[in-house]
Amino acid sequence: MIPVPAPVLYAARDEWKDVVPITQYEKANPLAPILYSEEYKDATDYLRGIVQAGEKSERVLQLTEHVIRLNPAHYSAWQYRYETLLALESSLEAEVALMDELADKYLKTYQVWHHRRLLLIRAGLPGAPAELAFIAKILRQDEKNYHTWAHRQWVLAFYNDDGLWAGELDFVDTMMNKDVRNNSVWHHRFFVVFQAGVRQGEEDRERIVRREIIYVKQNISLAPNNASAWNYLRGVLEFNKLPLSTVGPFIRPYTVSLPDPVDDGIDLENPGPGRGAELPCAAAVEFLADVYEEEGKASVSKAVELWKSLAEEHDTMRKKYWEYRIQQALVRA
Amino acid sequence: MNPLPPLARSVHTAYAKNALVRLPGSLGNVDASRMAIVFYCIGTLDLLGVLQDQTTEMERLSWRNWIWEQYAAGRYGTGFKPGPFMSTNSGHDTPHIIMTYTALLSLSMLRDDFSRLNRQGLLRFVASCQNSNGSFSNTPNGGGDSDLRNLYSAFSICSLLGDWSSIDVESAIAFVASCRTYEGGYGQLPSCEAQGGTTYLAIAALHLAPPGPRPRLSTAERARSEHWLVHSQDASGGFRGRTGKAPDACYCFWGGAALQILSAHDKINAYAFTEFIAACQFPYGGLAKAPGQPSDPHHTYLSLAAAAMYAPRLDMSARGYGQWDFAPFNPLLNAREDTIRWARSHIPARRF
Repeated sequence: MIPVPAPVLYAARDEWKDVVPITQYEKANPLAPILYSEEYKDATDYLRGIVQAGEKSERVLQLTEHVIRLNPAHYSAWQYRYETLLALESSLEAEVALMDELADKYLKTYQVWHHRRLLLIRAGLPGAPAELAFIAKILRQDEKNYHTWAHRQWVLAFYNDDGLWAGELDFVDTMMNKDVRNNSVWHHRFFVVFQAGVRQGEEDRERIVRREIIYVKQNISLAPNNASAWNYLRGVLEFNKLPLSTVGPFIRPYTVSLPDPVDDGIDLENPGPGRGAELPCAAAVEFLADVYEEEGKASVSKAVELWKSLAEEHDTMRKKYWEYRIQQALVRA
Repeated sequence: MNPLPPLARSVHTAYAKNALVRLPGSLGNVDASRMAIVFYCIGTLDLLGVLQDQTTEMERLSWRNWIWEQYAAGRYGTGFKPGPFMSTNSGHDTPHIIMTYTALLSLSMLRDDFSRLNRQGLLRFVASCQNSNGSFSNTPNGGGDSDLRNLYSAFSICSLLGDWSSIDVESAIAFVASCRTYEGGYGQLPSCEAQGGTTYLAIAALHLAPPGPRPRLSTAERARSEHWLVHSQDASGGFRGRTGKAPDACYCFWGGAALQILSAHDKINAYAFTEFIAACQFPYGGLAKAPGQPSDPHHTYLSLAAAAMYAPRLDMSARGYGQWDFAPFNPLLNAREDTIRWARSHIPARRF
């Protein structure tokens, strides 16, 4: 392996001679001191010097980039870099290109995304489609990354442009096809269909709600033990103020070990569990219990039976929770 | 119930003390959040009950002094910086709201008398971090991120000061509400996916806030949050941060504490919960996010805090006859009850 040469310290470079470096000031007993590398110590000495002097120049962009690469969570370096970019009226395209690389590298750092947002706010709408494409690329590597999804939601809501929203449901489908258990995709779908993504011309909510219920039912049919899909189903019903019993007939086959064989072909409204599905599905049992509880009166005892089966057999980790539900229902009855 | 594996108290104590003496260069990315690491390490000693008798008065004094050295004043008010990493007089070394919250708690653990605290300055600082949509930024005037971490810190500080007059509480509450999702948890920003950490921050903030015109959570909302949190407990006993993800010890804290605040702590399996935390112990000290992973100060503190809330609920035999005992813990402000009592009696302005 060829050894990587140690970088030449700023302290040894002629072109930085005019800067007075400021060493980190700590009294005699520093608490939780970090054993800094020489490179980091040197670069931050010069960063402090530059900030103290208030210099905003091209070399500040190099220096802040260097510090950021050594410590992407150095929020002051980010802040000063942004101010310098503005002062120099630098090319935002070049900065975004650099950020494409850094976001990829430091995916889990808050500052990377915050800086990107500031750049986008200045760049305006023309940069937005490229931004969505970039996010899609990053999500392909880490499909559940929280910051990346949050950024996508921010971009869509911030520009709130019909053209940007137009392809979003297709994007959701692409991501969903890769992993139906990716909760970030389900959440994003809700955001697109019921929240910020609602567009003019989509006033027929009933049609859309019907479409979503079918969509989630089909997903459950393919992978019944998928908490994300069940949460989405509840979410859709609650958000649209529909009773849980709306999907009662659909749930039932998922609550028993051996569902009745379907005699008259496939029921598109209520797709059943596929062969080899692990049944009964605890989420379905729980859902059906809630349907019974919602019905009230005589049905409550049926709910209690289901909760008992969850506590004792299908979901023993939550035994105490199911016992609590039983007790609550009996108090109310 | 079988006894839990032993809690390696002395090894964890040594781990936290070592970190306070020196952090490895590999932790260089905490340079701008060092105060939080200090909080996790001092907090670990506080939770293990060794802060007063296994450190010297000299050590504690020098730690308090270091924390006060990060106290800064300016036109935006007064607060604590993450550390000396910027040490300039340029306006680029302002206090940081999360670091201010952790500094106040750390000083309370160290039983500081807060005679150096400028209450009015602190109130002004918190106010200078609030944005027009009700949220709070890391630093004054919209600096840095503005997610729920900052809002929770702001609420904690106001609660400890016993003074909410400098901020707009109702717009902040509206911001929290906008982070709520259909799953019953809260995201980090409006329209983000429900996540255990931010759900704790939201629920704690709603409970720290002074009473408002309406209950902060409806019965239905409370039940839905409870449902989502209880379902975060994975088959291993640990909590996951989001639906469908793997468990992680820090979410045992966030989810477990949120349930405590909702008085729903009896609805999870406390034994499996603590068993998961026990398995996260790293042989050379500290706790990790999952069994077999390396430890870090953040997961060490949060796992022990999670254990402090749930282990005392177990049978004496499961607790290994005292091994897993902890002093009472305050889930709202995230420290031992006696530390919070100290904070509440020393941080507010003296009334004459």
